[in-house]
Amino acid sequence: MSTPVPVPGRASSGGIAARARGLTKAYGSGETAVLALDAVDVDIARGRFTAVMGPSGSGKSTLMHCLAGLDTVSAGRVWIGDTEITGLRDRELTRLRRDRIGFMFQSFNLIPTLNALENITLPMDIAGRGPDAAWLDQVIDTLGLRNRLTHRPSELSGGQQQRVACARALASRPELIFADEPTGNLDSRAGLEVLGFLRDAVDNLGQTVVMVTHDPGAAAHSDLVLYLADGRIVDEREHPTAEAVLERMRLFAGGATRAAGPSLGTPLRGGDGTAVGEA
Amino acid sequence: MLRATLRSFLAHKGRLLLSALAVVLSVAFVAGSLIFSDTVSRTFDRLFASTAADVTVAPKQDLRSPVRTGAVQTVPAALARRVAQVPGVAATQVDATVENVVVVDRRNEPVGPTTGAPTIARNWEVTGRSPVELTSGHAPHGDGEALLDADTARHKHVRIGDVLTVQAQPGTFRVRVVGIATFTTTNPGAALLFLDTPTAQTKLLGSTSRATSISVDAAAGVTDDQLKQRVAAAVGTGAYDVKTAGEQAKSAAASLGEFLKIIKYVMVGFAGIAVLVGIFLIVNTFSMLIAQRTRELGLLRALGADRRQVRRSVLTEAVLLGVVASTLGLAAGIGLAAGLIRLLGVFGMNLRTTEMVIGWVTPAAAYVVGVGVTFVAAYLPARRAAAVSPMAALVDAEVAGVGRPLRVRAVVGAAVGAAGAAALAGCAAASRTATAASLLGVGVVLTLIATVVAGPLLVRPLIRVLGGAFPAVFGAVGRMSQRNALRNPRRTGATAAALMVGLALVGGMSVASASMSRSFDNQIDKTLGADYIVQNRSFLPFPQEITETVRHTPGAGTVVRQRLAAIAVRLPDGKRVETAASGFDRQLDAVAHITYRAGNTAAALADGHLSMDVDFARRHGVRLGSVLPAEFQGGRRGELTVAALTDQDQAEGFGLQGGLYLGIGTLEKYVPGTEDAAVFVNAAPGTSAGQLRSRLERNLVPYPNVQVRDQADYKKLVHDQIAVLLYLVYALLGLAIVIAVLGVVNTLALSVVERTREIGLLRAIGLGRRQLRRMIRLESVVIAVFGAVLGLGLGLVWGVCIQRVLALQGMTALAIPWGTIVAVVIGSAVVGIVAALLPALRASRMNVLAAIAHE
Repeated sequence: MSTPVPVPGRASSGGIAARARGLTKAYGSGETAVLALDAVDVDIARGRFTAVMGPSGSGKSTLMHCLAGLDTVSAGRVWIGDTEITGLRDRELTRLRRDRIGFMFQSFNLIPTLNALENITLPMDIAGRGPDAAWLDQVIDTLGLRNRLTHRPSELSGGQQQRVACARALASRPELIFADEPTGNLDSRAGLEVLGFLRDAVDNLGQTVVMVTHDPGAAAHSDLVLYLADGRIVDEREHPTAEAVLERMRLFAGGATRAAGPSLGTPLRGGDGTAVGEA
Repeated sequence: MLRATLRSFLAHKGRLLLSALAVVLSVAFVAGSLIFSDTVSRTFDRLFASTAADVTVAPKQDLRSPVRTGAVQTVPAALARRVAQVPGVAATQVDATVENVVVVDRRNEPVGPTTGAPTIARNWEVTGRSPVELTSGHAPHGDGEALLDADTARHKHVRIGDVLTVQAQPGTFRVRVVGIATFTTTNPGAALLFLDTPTAQTKLLGSTSRATSISVDAAAGVTDDQLKQRVAAAVGTGAYDVKTAGEQAKSAAASLGEFLKIIKYVMVGFAGIAVLVGIFLIVNTFSMLIAQRTRELGLLRALGADRRQVRRSVLTEAVLLGVVASTLGLAAGIGLAAGLIRLLGVFGMNLRTTEMVIGWVTPAAAYVVGVGVTFVAAYLPARRAAAVSPMAALVDAEVAGVGRPLRVRAVVGAAVGAAGAAALAGCAAASRTATAASLLGVGVVLTLIATVVAGPLLVRPLIRVLGGAFPAVFGAVGRMSQRNALRNPRRTGATAAALMVGLALVGGMSVASASMSRSFDNQIDKTLGADYIVQNRSFLPFPQEITETVRHTPGAGTVVRQRLAAIAVRLPDGKRVETAASGFDRQLDAVAHITYRAGNTAAALADGHLSMDVDFARRHGVRLGSVLPAEFQGGRRGELTVAALTDQDQAEGFGLQGGLYLGIGTLEKYVPGTEDAAVFVNAAPGTSAGQLRSRLERNLVPYPNVQVRDQADYKKLVHDQIAVLLYLVYALLGLAIVIAVLGVVNTLALSVVERTREIGLLRAIGLGRRQLRRMIRLESVVIAVFGAVLGLGLGLVWGVCIQRVLALQGMTALAIPWGTIVAVVIGSAVVGIVAALLPALRASRMNVLAAIAHE
């Protein structure tokens, strides 16, 4: 399974939760094709909290969607654990998402007609499985949702809603949790709370979390930050601090919309609509 | 603003299409029925006007009989000579026309139409008024020759030289077909057999001295009216009706009008259902469109459009929809009318579709109905659109219509519902038919309105119960579909209402018809004691020789004849009641069980005596021994003594109020020449019923128009007749369901669009496509079943009340057709599944990521 070439985000211990090789995602075709991901190689280490950062348009959400089996890839291969998901049919992908992956989105995370507890157990209910009661209790207590279980989403604050979403992602004890800007719609206090829970899930519950964010403060809670620019992973940093992340992001700032950081001093492939990045 | 309106109309054309369909259907039925009846009446007016003589002298019609008695009223043929001497008369002609003959071919197959249209035998006279002309062969001369109309000859494969048997009242005779006559006008559907005049008089009327009427031609310069006055003065109007061609045509058209009216009512019923159900659909569509466009409307308001402009914009959209749909509906109506005219051809009436009459009323009615309905239905949603605040453009508001309180609906629904319930309770308690029927009408309308208004309030409790098992059976998918149905009670209520209306109708009518069947069964069990009844298939009276055949069948024991006659009795309370009386033979007790309150069969059937229903008698102050002045059809008068009072269940059914019966002798005295309407037969001792039946059937082979029926056959016959009513109701239901399905499809499609993000999320966290489809299907099913339960519940209440009204008419049994009701509920679930097909497919095809990102 291991490859001789060093790969960003490569696991140091505990194995690999997800893996991509030559992951390419293009929108459109021919001359007008836009490369959202350009032959990305990445390993997501099990039991770690990985953050994916990058300016808007860098392809970070696309990377997450492809890793999570939400989106199809144009080229390359993706594995969840030992299962190659590229080439799986919709039904198998759906089942994989349901049983092995947890999701948190920026907003609209919960089904409005279901109460908090029903939302939390929804993936297992869909699968027709009963939840692990002890684990569910632990998750609910960890997230402090005990008093909110019978509330509908409309009766919960934004932070509480994200906590419910977090609980749902954890409840089925997935191999991997993908969080897409989970703090994007929250005030800083509620955001910190959610990040704390994700951190907790990794440290105390042994979960694997991949978080897409553009907020350096949020990224600072992770074990490893992957920097994406124009469809390629351009850098990574272990045990980041907010300042360090911010500093690294500033390097993109100059040409954040289109070009990678010039400070890298690497040759650029230019041109409209063509991804530019480090070779 | 107009441009914005047009744009929005075009942008939503797919969504509006479904509502337009409902309008198209109702307009099509309105336009179709108008065109059809205009065309048919114009055709027949022409036919009757061209075939009526300038003046006709016919027997006086003083009593309109509610039943066919078989008696042929005649005038003396000699009257023609008297009339011929009246100044201004150019020519007179004797008519001998009877409508109740049966013509069979060599194989004893009936040659006449089997659709209920008459077989007419008449005398052959070549005049400019004849609707037919001789196209092959020669005119009939003397006994045993006849002409047949070409259409009948073609349908029944009769050729010149064939021998036919004619069963007429004076007796059966044979004729050879010597010529074929072809209609030069529209064939009204009857079969025509022509004999020469003396033969027609003898064989059809019994004597050359009789005629059914005298046709009079005016001399040049004499108008029909002048001639009518002179002829009337000469013959007197005491015994004769003298009519001009115009009057004759009008009365002929009037009797045809009854038939047209039925078709018209049926079509209006269809149009009404389509309009009623369509309104729900339109209201719902516009409400949902406006809910979806809240932000857009808010933006318009923020940019300076005032409320009136917004409202006008929505209403303009509605009018556009109405105009387009009415135009399509008008076109569909023309097609429908053409189809109906073609259908008449199947029944033998050959109208040419090229002669279709489209009066100005038709398009006017089409556009008034189409545009009016759309406008009215869009009015409330338009007001709601105008109430959207400019803030809506700025705030990310939840879709409107969810939170608005239902308090007004609760109050209005409860008030109208209480009034309706009171009316229905009054109907159930009423003791007079007229009161009960009008209270029933008021109650039905009010309870329907109340249910529609309060429907959304019933959504929560009912769907909690109906979908109660969903979470247990279908897990999370079931739970979500149940909650989705509960999400917007207004929308669910309005969607289900469309289905409810149709099913309430069916519920009510099926209870009524089941109750009627049960009542008739009970009545037949209770009163019919005969082994067999011999009757005409269409309940027409039949010639004496059939009775004689029955009587002479080996093994036939007691034979009792029944005859009918129109009668008018003057009652002690001063009322004159026109009804029909039955005449029976004296052995009536052997074939019927009659409960007497006073007197007995022997007394009732004695000469000059009469029996009457005890309730009818009590209401009109009649007592045993009362002497009642009576008038009979044909003008004879007499006095009848009430000699028996009976307790009959169905004394008032079918316009035969009073339950009058008397001896056949008495009847024959006042109305000579009536034919037997039914013959009751018992097997003689030593003959089994089965033996008797096979012998009767063998002997009656030459008379294909009569049938031998036992009790079970008789019950089945009654059930079949009631079923005809039900089929009509089922056809109405079918239409209502089609429109209701459109409504459910509409609602689900919009809901799917509204819930795009939710669907995306569900798919992301692992809901499979099939599960998603099932979720939408279950929601659809629960909405449909909700509508069915509401409709059937309402229909059951109506049905029980209808039965109370019927009970006043003597139909006392209440039967609730549980089988039908269960079938309808299951059927509605199927309707739900069908309606969900497309929306579910659409939802499951959604791209997950696009759905999550959907605004």
